[in-house]
Amino acid sequence: MSEVQNFPTPMLSVRGLCKTFGGLKAVQDIDLDVNSGEVFGLIGPNGAGKTTCFNLITGFYTPTAGRVTFQGHDITGHSPYRIARRGLVRSFQKTNVLKALSVFENVLAGHYLSTRQTLLATFFPHAGVSRAEREARDSAARIVELMGLAARMDTPAFRLSCGELRLLEVAVALAAKPALLMLDEPAAGLNSQEAMRFGSILKSLRRSEVESIVLVEHNMSLVMEVCDRVMVMHFGSKLAEGRPEQVKNDPQVIEAYLGRARA
Amino acid sequence: MMILERNTLLIMAVLAALFPLLVGNQYALHIGIMVLFYAVLATSLNLIVGYVGEFSLGHTAFLGLGAYAAALLSLRMGLPIWATIPLAGVISALFGAAIGAITLRLRGPYFVIITLAFAEVLRIIANNWMGLTNGPMGLSGVVQPALLADASPLAAKRFYFYLALAIAVVALYLAYRFVYSNNGRAAVTVRENRYVAQSVGIQPFAYAMRAFVLGAFLAGLAGGFYAHYITFVGANVFGFAFMVSMIIMVLIGGKGTLVGPLVGALLITVLNEYLREFQELRMSLFGLIVIGVVLFLPNGLMGFLNLRRERRRATPAAAAESHAEAPGGSA
Repeated sequence: MSEVQNFPTPMLSVRGLCKTFGGLKAVQDIDLDVNSGEVFGLIGPNGAGKTTCFNLITGFYTPTAGRVTFQGHDITGHSPYRIARRGLVRSFQKTNVLKALSVFENVLAGHYLSTRQTLLATFFPHAGVSRAEREARDSAARIVELMGLAARMDTPAFRLSCGELRLLEVAVALAAKPALLMLDEPAAGLNSQEAMRFGSILKSLRRSEVESIVLVEHNMSLVMEVCDRVMVMHFGSKLAEGRPEQVKNDPQVIEAYLGRARA
Repeated sequence: MMILERNTLLIMAVLAALFPLLVGNQYALHIGIMVLFYAVLATSLNLIVGYVGEFSLGHTAFLGLGAYAAALLSLRMGLPIWATIPLAGVISALFGAAIGAITLRLRGPYFVIITLAFAEVLRIIANNWMGLTNGPMGLSGVVQPALLADASPLAAKRFYFYLALAIAVVALYLAYRFVYSNNGRAAVTVRENRYVAQSVGIQPFAYAMRAFVLGAFLAGLAGGFYAHYITFVGANVFGFAFMVSMIIMVLIGGKGTLVGPLVGALLITVLNEYLREFQELRMSLFGLIVIGVVLFLPNGLMGFLNLRRERRRATPAAAAESHAEAPGGSA
């Protein structure tokens, strides 16, 4: 594959990842590499283990076996917040935002890492604290605009439409300034027009905001549109990997999605 | 929100500072002192209920620890009031760290029950450890500051009023700084959604702990003040009566706001005095008020006012917006 040669060391590298729940092998022996500058798609039928894979990489589940390396650091089994501090930030399949807070406050809360301070500085703030606060506020406003939510800046999150919530969720993740952004079905519940707009926003993020993106998605036209490489999972295992157009025509993939044609 | 709260708090502080100058009545000053004492307590409980998002029924543990600490430091070690009250806060905060390390691993009803158990165990210890706490007889004769030796009763009341005000100002300054900083945002993020919090790098336990320890510190200050003002500390400081008052104040005023608990403290302390002669009626009435607030004003008076303000602001904007979006219809 030509892309791989451009990126000698992968940003995220997963080897032999396994997770069993009781007797169920949810994820079996997954290897994957995400290179710097890449949008990587993770697709597969329902129950294929995509979200489990996500949870294993981001620390929400502990792997039964395997290794996860991010930017040269072994992060296998680390807590989610420690992984986030390394620059690997995720969104959730089931929308997770701070419902009672406004759009701006949600994104400001996402700036936690850039505004951390000692307790002493909390009670007796010095100039650096207020500078960090101001920068976080400017950055939050910029991210809200970037995601096309400027008109909703002060609207409480519980008043947003489904599509706006998905955008807000990405905005909160971006606020943590990730190097690698992992999105779990960000376009779920969007109509095709909204999904296309979402796709163009995603493509613009890769250049300006984050180095790489990993995307779990069911919306195939979105995946084909934005992803550089795609991995297909089926029953917890890797079925195929490659450029979107290669994978789309792979007979095994077609079979997994549509079933075998009768001879 | 931030500026509005700050200005409201400043106005309240100025009004409170003028109060003793305008009122020359010992009884009114006593009520003013109790309002300030409860304001500190309610603020400290609000840090846990409103910002950690867990319901503590054992917050009197910290009030009581502060009160006993100040009384013992004063009686046994002869420390002056300027040292005992801050130390009461520090000792409370240390216990807060120890108790928080256990209780903050629990959620919902488990947290409620374990915090209640801690307060109850401390009450039983205070009632039985004769050597330290003098058991049910309590510690009496907590030393008054020397400068009150030949002051008139009214001057003494004024002194305690300003002392209480100073503590309340410190408490609200700390709470304000905490709430409107990265710490407060992190605590609110944890309260609203633990998954989001972790995914943006927040360690949930650390921020619940910070708010909990700060709450314990403030309750300890209030307890230290109480010991010197009342001059007597008995096991009742761990009792449920203080807890009930604090809860009502926080709920009525509005949890998760700084002004709310102060409004609650003012309303309930004054109401308490008016209804002093109708003890049974008082408790029933408070019960009804709490039911009413939980049903109709789940975010208290301040929550209600904020909602109205927001609606009034949002209505014209929302109308204009829906008009503009109608042709595209894609948002």
